[in-house]
Amino acid sequence: MSSPSQTEIRHIRPYVHYNCSCPDVNISLESENEETFNIDSPRIQFSTFSISKLYFCNDCHQIRCPRCVQEEIVSYYCPNCLFEVPTASVKSERNRCARNCFQCPICQNTLSVLPSSEPQPPPSPISPTTVPVPTVSATGAPYYLSCGVCRWDSQEIGMTFEKATGLALQLQRTEDERPDVKEFDHLKDHFEKHMRLNTPSTALPSSLLSIPGMSSFSNRYGGMVSNNQQKSDDIVPYEAVAKVEIESGLVDDLVQLKDVNQITTLTQRINQLSDQPYKVERLQPQRIHLRTKRVKRCRSCRHILIKPEQKAQSTKFKIKLVALNNIPKISIASLPKLILNQRTQIVLKFSNPLDEEISVDLTTQEETNECGKVDILAPHFNITPYDGLWEYEEPDLIASKSRTAPNSIGIYERRGDSTSIIVEITPLSEVEEFRFPLLVTYTCKNNENDGAVTEEKTLDETSSLKATGGDSTADESTRTLSFWTVIGLGPVIKPPSGVSGTLVSGPRSEPSGSKGVTSRGSSGNSNRK
Amino acid sequence: MEPPIVYYPRSEYIETDTGNKVSRKSVICGSQNIILGGKTIIQTECVIRGDLRRTGGGHAVVVAIGRYCLLARGSIIRPPYKTYKGIFSYYPMKIGDHVTIGEGSIVEAATIGSFVHIGKNCVIGRFAIIKDCCRIEDNTVIPPNTVVPSFSIYEGSPGVFVDELPECVQDLYESKTKDYYAKFQPKD
Ligand SMILES: [Zn+2]
Ligand SMILES: [Zn+2]
Ligand SMILES: [Zn+2]
Ligand SMILES: [Zn+2]
Repeated sequence: MSSPSQTEIRHIRPYVHYNCSCPDVNISLESENEETFNIDSPRIQFSTFSISKLYFCNDCHQIRCPRCVQEEIVSYYCPNCLFEVPTASVKSERNRCARNCFQCPICQNTLSVLPSSEPQPPPSPISPTTVPVPTVSATGAPYYLSCGVCRWDSQEIGMTFEKATGLALQLQRTEDERPDVKEFDHLKDHFEKHMRLNTPSTALPSSLLSIPGMSSFSNRYGGMVSNNQQKSDDIVPYEAVAKVEIESGLVDDLVQLKDVNQITTLTQRINQLSDQPYKVERLQPQRIHLRTKRVKRCRSCRHILIKPEQKAQSTKFKIKLVALNNIPKISIASLPKLILNQRTQIVLKFSNPLDEEISVDLTTQEETNECGKVDILAPHFNITPYDGLWEYEEPDLIASKSRTAPNSIGIYERRGDSTSIIVEITPLSEVEEFRFPLLVTYTCKNNENDGAVTEEKTLDETSSLKATGGDSTADESTRTLSFWTVIGLGPVIKPPSGVSGTLVSGPRSEPSGSKGVTSRGSSGNSNRK
Repeated sequence: MEPPIVYYPRSEYIETDTGNKVSRKSVICGSQNIILGGKTIIQTECVIRGDLRRTGGGHAVVVAIGRYCLLARGSIIRPPYKTYKGIFSYYPMKIGDHVTIGEGSIVEAATIGSFVHIGKNCVIGRFAIIKDCCRIEDNTVIPPNTVVPSFSIYEGSPGVFVDELPECVQDLYESKTKDYYAKFQPKD
């Protein structure tokens, strides 16, 4: 789902990414379970996400990522005119807007419909008045499509319209003439009578039948399985009607090409999939693709995690089970520069979105980390329940005096529904990005009475994932969840010459008594083992 | 990454009864035509042209900005204009709640919904409509009359759809703008 630009960004900025083990996607990968979580695996790119992209299944009590949810289309709408398209007509309109919404074939901007008899609106101050005022075109049709960005207009390719409305219909007529469309229609006609012979089957869930074209698949394949295969064998061999015409002279033209701007760009060709022309004059305005609103289900238990309101313009959700509101949110609160061989204190802030107190256990993998040493000074701590008021309305929120004095080692501060802890980092190699894995295990009181059954299941699932130690799961009225995170802290730089490597740099306002932190940090480590 | 506390010189900003913080180094024209919803920050060198309004008629709201908005340094808000039936006129602009407009961006939109993030150095063209829950990346140019539907990320020049935003974006942007406001603190 994420665009390439976002994938790049995640390596530049410091980040906390959550791992989804995708139990239903990785069934066969027994060897790659959580105990051998390897942050250097190329797989990590595709199994870790920022918390905003994750969902949370209340029934499985597990994180779900975009890979382990199933999507079902609820409604279709045009992203430009925001008109909701009935599912029944989506198929015949080929998933594009059938109103007056077109995309510029040159720059992909939205085109506007202009009358050619009237003078154009006064040019904007950015572009000088070089655009000629169009007169009534040769065909006499008074309307044309115009791009306000690149100044392309449909008269260039001789495309004009009689009326200002229903332009899509006129364009769709030329679409229907295309050889690929004709061929598909021909194919469909050829097989359709055989499909109708087979009894309609309900092999596919009814939700899938609402997808255009799916019902005929269901009939075909469902019918084949349940009924007799004989009937499908009766189909007469299919013969293609369309003939692929090879543009004569195209190769010669391309060979003699002197300026690359004379041919279309890759983006332009991809936007006109039917013939992907090389010649700019062959580009046509495209009707705008419809967008969808989708229900998202947990792959394991099929419960709905996301259910948007059907209306195209609504941004509300009937069901919204996102990770942000269900698992502790981790953010990097303080991050000094990382210097080679220099012990540095960073602050990780854990926020509790639940209205129950949770206790958190942290573990990291030291032996597998090539970047350097990571010491968690406070591997066990509690976070008080979520209280929206606490977060923002306190007038003296910023004043350091309102901060609760830390009463245990490695706790930077406790405030409202968050606890910030100190992690000591000692970079041992000059890497472009210091990353380390962190196993987060949290336990909260279960306020549901029927939770016992789910609890057992959860324990089974998580017991293999959980690190050793911690008696937090002993209590029957608690729920435990473990997940791996990858924390990226950016580059490690060389120490300035003449500086000893044993200095500790840390957050600006260190809590009192932090002198003892470094020496006693080792005892904290031994607790975890 | 948790955003840091931003300190501003106490003398530079005027704080209104409803918690708006407006820099004295910004240019606010026609302030009687501008509405700020409360807890909105207008930073140094911003320009809001509340004076560009339809000729004739009495008092009218030209620029309406909601709660918890941030107009970062050097951003410009200018109502859109067009010539309709031979008459040149300005039209009002409405901006929702929890909207961030990045440094140096120029906005001439007709409406911007709530929970919208506009990056740095963007141009939002005349009569553009940005619906709720959208993100415009840095250096993007949204051409005039463009409609940006909800849960979209737009990028480039001209700005085109590049990705969808996650479902929790409303919560995300709400807490981000509230957090920024809480951490925007005076220093003497
Ligand atoms: Zn997953
Ligand atoms: Zn449309
Ligand atoms: Zn164009
Ligand atoms: Zn589930």
